[in-house]
Amino acid sequence: MTKTYTLPRNFCSMGSMTRRGLLALVLLGATTLAASGCGDGGRPGSIKVVIAEYSRDHTRPFWQALAEEYTKQTGVRVDLQVIDWNSIDQQVSTMVQNNQPPDVLNLNSFSSYARDGLLYSGDEVLSPKTREDFLEAFAQGGTYQGKLYGFPILASARAFFYNRDLLTRAGVAAPPRTWDDFVQAARRVQALGGGVIGYALPLGPEEAQAEWSIWMWNNGGDWKTGGAWAINSEKNVQTLTFLAALANTHKVTQVNPGKTNRTDGAFQLFKDGKVGMVMGFSPLAAQLDAEGKVAYGVTQMPTNVGTPVTLGVEDYLMAFKKKGNQEAVRQFLDLYYRPEQITRWIGAEGFLPVTKSGRERMSGNEKLRPYLEALPNARLVPTTDPTWDKVKLDVQQSIGLAVQPGGDPRQVLDRIQKSAEESAR
Amino acid sequence: MYPAIELVRASFGRYSVTGLHQGTVGLRNYARLLGLEALPAVVGNTAVWVALVVAITLVLSLGLAQLLNESFPGRRLVRWALIVPWAASLIMTSKLFVWIYDYYFGLLNHLLAAAGRAPIDWLGDDRTVMGAMIAVGVFVSLPFTTYVLLAGLQTIAGEVYEAARVDGATGWRSYRWITLPLLRPALLVATVLNLIYVFNSFPIVWTLNDRNPGFAHDTMITFMYKIAFKSALRDVGLAAALGVVNVLLILAAVLAYLRAARWREEPA
Repeated sequence: MTKTYTLPRNFCSMGSMTRRGLLALVLLGATTLAASGCGDGGRPGSIKVVIAEYSRDHTRPFWQALAEEYTKQTGVRVDLQVIDWNSIDQQVSTMVQNNQPPDVLNLNSFSSYARDGLLYSGDEVLSPKTREDFLEAFAQGGTYQGKLYGFPILASARAFFYNRDLLTRAGVAAPPRTWDDFVQAARRVQALGGGVIGYALPLGPEEAQAEWSIWMWNNGGDWKTGGAWAINSEKNVQTLTFLAALANTHKVTQVNPGKTNRTDGAFQLFKDGKVGMVMGFSPLAAQLDAEGKVAYGVTQMPTNVGTPVTLGVEDYLMAFKKKGNQEAVRQFLDLYYRPEQITRWIGAEGFLPVTKSGRERMSGNEKLRPYLEALPNARLVPTTDPTWDKVKLDVQQSIGLAVQPGGDPRQVLDRIQKSAEESAR
Repeated sequence: MYPAIELVRASFGRYSVTGLHQGTVGLRNYARLLGLEALPAVVGNTAVWVALVVAITLVLSLGLAQLLNESFPGRRLVRWALIVPWAASLIMTSKLFVWIYDYYFGLLNHLLAAAGRAPIDWLGDDRTVMGAMIAVGVFVSLPFTTYVLLAGLQTIAGEVYEAARVDGATGWRSYRWITLPLLRPALLVATVLNLIYVFNSFPIVWTLNDRNPGFAHDTMITFMYKIAFKSALRDVGLAAALGVVNVLLILAAVLAYLRAARWREEPA
């Protein structure tokens, strides 16, 4: 048996296949290896800091410098791991399984960790000055059962991008404000022919929950009502039916929108100048500026309910409870949350501030203006509910099926709702 | 042996989304596996994927090995070139093929357009996804298989063919009655190793199928990963149970194949 199993693993390393190798580690991994390096009482000699890679250029350099600064101040070494988004969930899960969690973790979810009792609350590891500096909405978004566990690390907001040339050529005078305008504009752009696409709709597994949230909210629907999941509400069925119609009746989207991802699909097409409209965010703007190929505008989402709503995304820092690490972790977090540090990094990555001091410092940035303006009308997905961690994955794996020819929006939403209710129990 | 024990242990466990162990559940994970709606399709995909990739690879490799066994100018170069898809990382190769297959930017659809044909969404159309993945699976399996068979060919002494020629056996008859039987050990090795590699292959199916929601084109290996990390199940224990089933299944398949191969040897 051992022999059979070692063969594929050797093969993995031949092909330098990391994910499969990691999988083998996860599933075969030594779950009972000795507990991690933090000491018995007293100060740990080092802390493990796990950060998600937002960009090749900025993430590691910033955190590396911060870690060096921290070591200089405290004498505590930092074991820094910068991990790409594709594999961070799985790597962190492996660490927890092996009883070797990080001391500080950056992720897009936090409440499951809080529910499992793995985290320090803000009272325990943040100085009062830091806690008071968080913007209220983002502090709310990091709260589980009345306590702050998910410390806001950065934020972003989506905005509506349009290709000026294509809209002009199609005779669309201004970007659409309502859904009816939107359908008209998309039809006109699509009618230009020559492979031009009205609207790029990415409902593939990568980030379907983001695209879906924005359409859902702009039709008056929501994930939950009154604390209970409401994924298959009439409003939401109507919204998903509308999206399916964009693809199959109006035919104003790219081919197979349920099987298109954001990064290598919708954004790629928009950057190539093939698409009239797409929902983007500031990193897309940075890429468009760097390439200089598309004349684009950024505006608010078209809406069916009067006030346009956008999606705000908040990512978190978490501090794991480990014997003797509280003081070391507190000092590390204090260093990151110094206004000059957090603002430097958020600015470099092109994201939005999560602190009052950061908002002041960044308010003069013209490029960020559309997103900063959208922030008051931004809503967050329900990351404060641990069930969300499963609901998100369910939406990613299923909602695209509803917009394929023959797909059934109501049935898809009913199934997600049922699964959410089961998880919530 | 230790990792295998850990896998079995994990398969008896209940885990939180975070990976935290929350006690043991006996065989419940195995029972839940059987209840998964996607399982029959996934098992079917796995059978098609393994059978076709291994069979097509073997047939093509037999031809390639024969070709590389002849002397012709530039043989050394061709032999080296064949190593490339083997040496390249499977992820990079898979990503390259994603762009070859892409509906809007892909080389394949440019060729179709040049031929006046309508484009095809190779990786999105349910009818073409599996075929597209199998083609890549064959492409990356060819080098190894060809080299195993080439090594086998080179152990066949020239005198055997001369003797056969004296007896009037040439061409196809010589290949069918001399080359293939003497190549049997090499074929056996190539088949068994390919069965295991292809069954366990993660990156090709994962990368080429990553735009598609659901589990309609997953094999048991990618399904295992999705159960653990990328679906509403998000359950390491359940995934470990499937991992155990996978190991037993490939073991059984290899044993069955070896038995069948030996069985055929006897009457010969």
